[in-house]
Amino acid sequence: MTGRRHPARDSQVGSSGPFLPSLAGTFLTWVAVTVLTTLAVSPALAHGGSIGAAGRSSLRLPTWLVLLTGGAAVGASFLLSSFVTDRGLIRAIDGWRRGLPLPNRAATILGRVVGLAVLAAVLVVGFVGPQSSANLAVLLVWVGWWAGFTMLSYLVGNAWPVLNPWRTLAALLPTSGRSVPRSLGTWPAVAGLLALVWLEVVSPLAAAPAQLATVVVGYSLVTLAGAAVVGPADWFRFVDPVAGVFRNYGRVAPIGRDEDGGLELRLPATALTRPGSISGPGDVAFVVALLWATTYDGLVTTPAWTDAIEALAGVGVPTAVVYPLALLAGFALFLAGFHLAAMASRRVAGTYLARETLLELVAPSLLAIAAGYHFAHYLGYFLTYAPAIVAVAAAPLAARATIPTLALPDWFQFVGMAAVLVGHLLAIWVAHARAFAAVPDRMDAIRSQAPFVAVMVGYTMTSLWIVAQPEVPVPT
Amino acid sequence: MRLRDDGTPDPETAYDVPPGAPVHECGICGAPFPAREDRELHRALVHGREAGDGVAGGDEGEEADTLEAAREREETALRRFRLKALGAVVALYFVLLMVYALV
Repeated sequence: MTGRRHPARDSQVGSSGPFLPSLAGTFLTWVAVTVLTTLAVSPALAHGGSIGAAGRSSLRLPTWLVLLTGGAAVGASFLLSSFVTDRGLIRAIDGWRRGLPLPNRAATILGRVVGLAVLAAVLVVGFVGPQSSANLAVLLVWVGWWAGFTMLSYLVGNAWPVLNPWRTLAALLPTSGRSVPRSLGTWPAVAGLLALVWLEVVSPLAAAPAQLATVVVGYSLVTLAGAAVVGPADWFRFVDPVAGVFRNYGRVAPIGRDEDGGLELRLPATALTRPGSISGPGDVAFVVALLWATTYDGLVTTPAWTDAIEALAGVGVPTAVVYPLALLAGFALFLAGFHLAAMASRRVAGTYLARETLLELVAPSLLAIAAGYHFAHYLGYFLTYAPAIVAVAAAPLAARATIPTLALPDWFQFVGMAAVLVGHLLAIWVAHARAFAAVPDRMDAIRSQAPFVAVMVGYTMTSLWIVAQPEVPVPT
Repeated sequence: MRLRDDGTPDPETAYDVPPGAPVHECGICGAPFPAREDRELHRALVHGREAGDGVAGGDEGEEADTLEAAREREETALRRFRLKALGAVVALYFVLLMVYALV
């Protein structure tokens, strides 16, 4: 990919090594290969820094076997989850929560000041700092914010509404009193997310700090103007894709808002089992777009994509047209796949629940998968470059040839593997719990999940295929 | 908002009955179901109705029998499915085991 190039790449998961002959060894190998292969599946808005020298394809297994194993693991997880059929147990687990004190006024103000200071630093250092990827603006945006802060959003809680500097600034602006038409729902945010993904893929945002800062200025102008027209509450709920990403990831987190506006501690991902978390076709589409964005991000770095671009260019189709078209077509395909699954779900479960209801039931579980992939990809990247942020922040305008990085031990890759596994298990749990709450007959509830599991198996295998390809630069 | 706070479908918005399909409506909230058994399970799950509670206009004895039958149908299907699922997981494991041994 041309965007977000970084001096070195994050740790790459290698082969699982020689296969042990014993049963236990084979099983462990299967688990390891499964996790390891699903691991590399493009994470949310993927590969922020996973770009650089080495390709992704360090697996020594034939591709078809990797696809088969990954698909089988997802299917097996669904079968195993169907053994938990006690509604009381499901409700007790999902309903566990403890109240937490709200942060006081001083903490909120401090958070806003930090958000504004970071925005100012990105703009100033982006424009006047050294024009290389060892620039504080690049490190703050991709390492500190997109890797680190996003992880914080689903591991701890979503602090973006407080830190968000545009929300702080927008609160100072007069508003026109207009609002976003409710019939639009979250669809504007879906369009915004797809636009951001397109921009990120076609422009070299990590190698050129000034360009990154220019994009931030553009985003700031659009955001502040929009928030002034429809008011900050509507803008950040229905239109702003960045707030949407953090709000959705925040639902995976163990700390978040309860129904009464207070703070609560809950088990990870259990907030996703609550119905209010996804409401309406726009919210469903946003989650699907988040997932598709991860796939697209990986797809454009495959040799097959390069071949397709060249073939299309040969018959006179401009490359600049292919990128946005493929982005939209793939999103439509993903959405259509989930709609077809919902129609099949209605049939096999023999339920009169509407297609849209079934989509709202299943969509939140995709967020746990997205969070698992994000963590697997970005934890190593974040830890590797976190020392660089500190070092570069000490003298942000000084040009430097090298930046300090943290070398990660070999076993570190297993942390990522575990993260992907946990993401999948949480997703299956969430889908299971939601189906059990909505469908009276528990056997029908299990049946209703089957078509969605089939789609997820297909999705996993597609993503694995992308991951198994050697990574090549994005053709332009 | 098609789902309510407790995770149950909102009877006003969540359902979409195919034209001409048989409908067994819940006497309390009006939610439609394809079979009497589903309706009784729904009433037990959503409205906390148990066998013999009865609802306005309903036949208590028949409803109690239906709920019993529905629970039995559900349990039997679940037991059968668990066996199949266990078999599928074991089969999947051994197929992959052999594939890995051959590759």
